[in-house]
Amino acid sequence: MIEFQDVTYVHLNGVKALDGVSLKIDTGETVAIVGENGAGKTTLVKHVTGLLKPASGTVLVDSQSTTATSTAQLSRKVGVAFQNPDHQLFSESVEEEMSFALRNFGFAPELVEQRVSWGLELFGLDEYRKSSPLVLSGGEKKRLTLACILAWDPEVVILDEPTVGQDSIQKEKLVQTIRMLSSAGKTVVVVSHDIEFLWPMQPRVVVMRAGKIVGDGPASKLMQEKELLDSARVAQPELVALYQSLDARPPSPFVDPLDARRWLENGGTGP
Amino acid sequence: MMWLSGGFVFRRGTSVYHRLDPRVKLLLSVLMFATTLLVRSVYELALVLAFMVGIAAIATVLRRVARTMVFTASFSVIIFVLNLVFTGSWVTSLLYAVRFVAIVMSTSLFFITTSPDELEQVMKTFRLPRDVVFAFVTAVRFIPVLLLDTIQIMDAQKSRGLELEKGNVFRRVRNMIPILIPLVVNSVVRSGELAEAMESRAYGAVAKPSSLVEYKSSLADKAVAVAAIAVFVLAAYSFYYVLPAKFP
Repeated sequence: MIEFQDVTYVHLNGVKALDGVSLKIDTGETVAIVGENGAGKTTLVKHVTGLLKPASGTVLVDSQSTTATSTAQLSRKVGVAFQNPDHQLFSESVEEEMSFALRNFGFAPELVEQRVSWGLELFGLDEYRKSSPLVLSGGEKKRLTLACILAWDPEVVILDEPTVGQDSIQKEKLVQTIRMLSSAGKTVVVVSHDIEFLWPMQPRVVVMRAGKIVGDGPASKLMQEKELLDSARVAQPELVALYQSLDARPPSPFVDPLDARRWLENGGTGP
Repeated sequence: MMWLSGGFVFRRGTSVYHRLDPRVKLLLSVLMFATTLLVRSVYELALVLAFMVGIAAIATVLRRVARTMVFTASFSVIIFVLNLVFTGSWVTSLLYAVRFVAIVMSTSLFFITTSPDELEQVMKTFRLPRDVVFAFVTAVRFIPVLLLDTIQIMDAQKSRGLELEKGNVFRRVRNMIPILIPLVVNSVVRSGELAEAMESRAYGAVAKPSSLVEYKSSLADKAVAVAAIAVFVLAAYSFYYVLPAKFP
């Protein structure tokens, strides 16, 4: 479990990036953190791995304070895929890149080989195994960073803007991967501006504005609160916006446009 | 790292010193630099340092200059120890060590109060080739970007279990490889992209492009420049003729 207890963080330039944030994320939950640029989303997730330490308040990961634990220790439990893949790729080959963290964590050579093959296959990168990671396309690099994180099987997976540079097929694969992680009991935290990507997963949504949490709840409920979303500069999913513009209130959150069409054809009644 | 970088990177300010013509600020820094080379005793150097601290106070950058001094202090210690070993004189060693701090401080005062745009104008004043000016100013402009990149790369690698502070010297140096390679690669890629972006915006299309800003020194700027030269001459005269006679 991840817990933020009244956490405040102030950048060196004096800007308050987190302002009294309290949040609990249970094991196995899938949480989406949304909000405008500069709302404090990335700062929030950097506290989970101990990369940033709170100015006041406490961050607990499995009841362990991040202030008293090193990032290296925390990263065994928490895997973060950062926004820019170019900030981490350095090895001579894709497989070496994938094995970097596994070797840091002291995995046995056979297990390293096994985990590398699994990750490369899962993300369709097997053909690049011996290639330099620097020659991959933007989307492939992003997938490689995700594969690198999942290779060591962390309990918590944090994805910071995972859809940047991904085509629609890769986005769909990413949704499936997150669902797979969720069904495997992993805690998944996704920081994203891509509401259409988040909507089908129906996660718990945490809305941030100016370093504060201004909304927290299931996507089906929160995404209907247009005023709240507008104030945090978050767009509504198109499907929800469509229902609202038709002044229709679906009884359950439709995640598939075909279901929505069926519902509308029935005159806006039924499940 | 970001804390230290504040001692070298420009940030906008509204002080009188910030508003000075950049050419006058350069002149002041050059004169302060020259004065630190002229001094012959620790007392004289203390006077020059006090003058620089005064300038930093006027420019409201005292804290940031203090960061510069913290950064240079480590090098000063090395200078002090080496001089002590080879000359055996505490006073000479101290003079060289503090002189180094003063030299860095004089240049730091210029760079933390002068924007890259102003720097470009100053360099153009000396009629340096445009490409040279552009390359230098771009390098200065990208220092904060590189610092931010370094921090983000360190964060990413630490999140993959890399422990930068662990092990002996050789291991620590080896641990820097995952930091340096992405940093260099990103910088090379960025410079290529910048070159393409500049060319696509007609960089180099004409031999003498027009300029948005033309600096004209005000009366106050000229007065500060004259006063600075006068203080420098007075200081040089005092260091060589007045002070040695009074404090032999």
